[in-house]
Amino acid sequence: MELEGMEEFERELKQALERMPAPPGLKHRLMVKKQEQFAMRRRRVVWWQRLAVAAALICMLAGAWTWRNAEQRREGEEARRQVILALRITSRALNQMQSQLAAHNQDVQSQTRTGSLNEQE
Amino acid sequence: MKRRVAISMLGATLLCATALAQSSPLQLPTPLEKDLAARASNVTEVTLGKDMLAFAAKFMNGNDKNDAATRQLIEGLDGIYVRDYEFDKPGQYSLDQLESLRKVFATPEWTPIVHVRERNSGETTDVMMKMVNGESRGMFVLDAEPKELAIVLILGPIRMDDLGALKGLDGLGALGAVPQMQQRGAKPNTGAKPGDGKGGTQ
Amino acid sequence: MASDWQPDFEALVDEHQSMVFSLAMRMTGDRGLAEEIAQDVFLELDKHLRRIESAEHARFWLRRVTMSRSADALRRRKVRGIPLWVRIEENQAVQVEEQSSPLGARLERLLSTLPEAQRAALVLRYQEDLTPEEIAAALGTPLATVKSHLQRGLMLLRAKAASHLKEYVRGT
Repeated sequence: MELEGMEEFERELKQALERMPAPPGLKHRLMVKKQEQFAMRRRRVVWWQRLAVAAALICMLAGAWTWRNAEQRREGEEARRQVILALRITSRALNQMQSQLAAHNQDVQSQTRTGSLNEQE
Repeated sequence: MKRRVAISMLGATLLCATALAQSSPLQLPTPLEKDLAARASNVTEVTLGKDMLAFAAKFMNGNDKNDAATRQLIEGLDGIYVRDYEFDKPGQYSLDQLESLRKVFATPEWTPIVHVRERNSGETTDVMMKMVNGESRGMFVLDAEPKELAIVLILGPIRMDDLGALKGLDGLGALGAVPQMQQRGAKPNTGAKPGDGKGGTQ
Repeated sequence: MASDWQPDFEALVDEHQSMVFSLAMRMTGDRGLAEEIAQDVFLELDKHLRRIESAEHARFWLRRVTMSRSADALRRRKVRGIPLWVRIEENQAVQVEEQSSPLGARLERLLSTLPEAQRAALVLRYQEDLTPEEIAAALGTPLATVKSHLQRGLMLLRAKAASHLKEYVRGT
C-alpha cells in the first residue's frame, strides 16, 4: 500500500517536473550576445595586436637609439684618438726642432768660448 | 634615360668629391703627395675639420688633465691636418720637394717663426704662424728627418695660454714651448733666415 | 565515430534550450536568473565547442555546467543576503498562475523548498530521467550521497505534500 502510494507520487512528480519551454526569444537574445562577445573578443585581439606592434616599434626605436648612441660614441672616440695622434706628431716635430736648436746653441757657445780664448792668447 | 640618370649621378658625385677636396685647407701639390705616399713605408693622415674637432671635444673627459687641456686647445680651432710619412731608408724625398712644400705657405699672412737645419744629418724643421691683426690664426710645421717627414697644419685662433697648458703633458709637452718660440721669433735678427743652409732661429 | 559528429551551435541551442532553462529555473526559482544562466551556459558551450565530441557529450556537458552555474548563482545570492525562500516563493507564486496543472505547480513549489542538494538530485532524476549513476556523474558527487539525497528528498517532499496538499492528505 505504502509502496504503491510512493510509485504514484513519483509518477505525479515526474509529470510535474516535465521540461518547461524556454522563454520566447531566448535563442535570439543568445545569438545577439554571442555576436557582441565575438565583436568584443575581436576588438580585444585588435587591441593586443596594436599593443604588440607598438611594443615592437618601441623596441626597434630603442634598439636604433642605443645603436646610434654606441656608434656615435665609437666615432667620437675615434675622432678623439685622431686629435691626440695629430697633436703628438706635432709635438714630436717641435721636440725634434728644440733638440736641434739646443745642439746649435751649444755649438755657438763653444765656438764663442774658443774664439775668446784665442783672443786672450 | 637610365644613362642620363647615371651620368647625372656621376657628375654629382664628382662635384661633391671636388668640393670636398677643395674644402681641405692642406693643399699639397698632388704629384708630390702621391710621390711621398708611394715611397713611404707608413703614411699617417689626419684630417679634422671644425665640426669633427667639436665632436671630438665632446668625448674628452673634463676630469682627465691631458684631455681637459687638449679640449681647451681644440675647441676654438677650425681644423687640424697632418701628413706623416715614414720611410725605410733615407733619401726618399728631395730638398726641392721640401722647398715646394714651403712655397705653399709663402704668403704674406704666414710668418716664419723658426727654421732649423742640422748641418750633418740634413734634418730641417720649419714653424710658421699665420698672423691676422696680431693674433695667431694658424700654425704650420714641417719636420724633415732622414727617414721621416711630418707636415702639420693647424688652423684657427691658437691661444698661447692653451698651448702653454700642454707643457709637461705626456707626449704633448713640446707644444707647450710654442708660445716662447713665438716670442723669440718675434725678435728681429736673432738667427738665420729659412733656407739659408745654417742652423738658426727667426 | 565521434569524429564524424560536427557540432552545430544553433542546432544545439534549439535542441537543449528547454532542458537548460528548466534545470536553471527549478534550481534557482528565478525566471530572469534562469535565462541569464541559460545564456551563460550556451556561450560557454560555444567557447568549448571544439572539445565536444558527440551529441551525448554535449547533453552531458550542458547538464553538468547548468547545475554548477545554478549552484554558483544560489551561492552568490546567499552571500548577497537576499532571502532565497522569499524570492522562490514570490517567483513560484507567479509560476503557479501560469501552470496548467495546479497539482504539478504546487508540487513544484514544494520541491523548491527542499535543500539544494536534494532538489538537484530530484530534478535530475524526475525531469531528466537520469539514473543515480548519471546524476552522480553530472553533479560530481559520490553515488551513495546521490542515492541518500534522492531518498531523503523524496521522503521529505512526500511528507510536505501530505501535510500541505489535500490530494495527498487524502491519499496517505
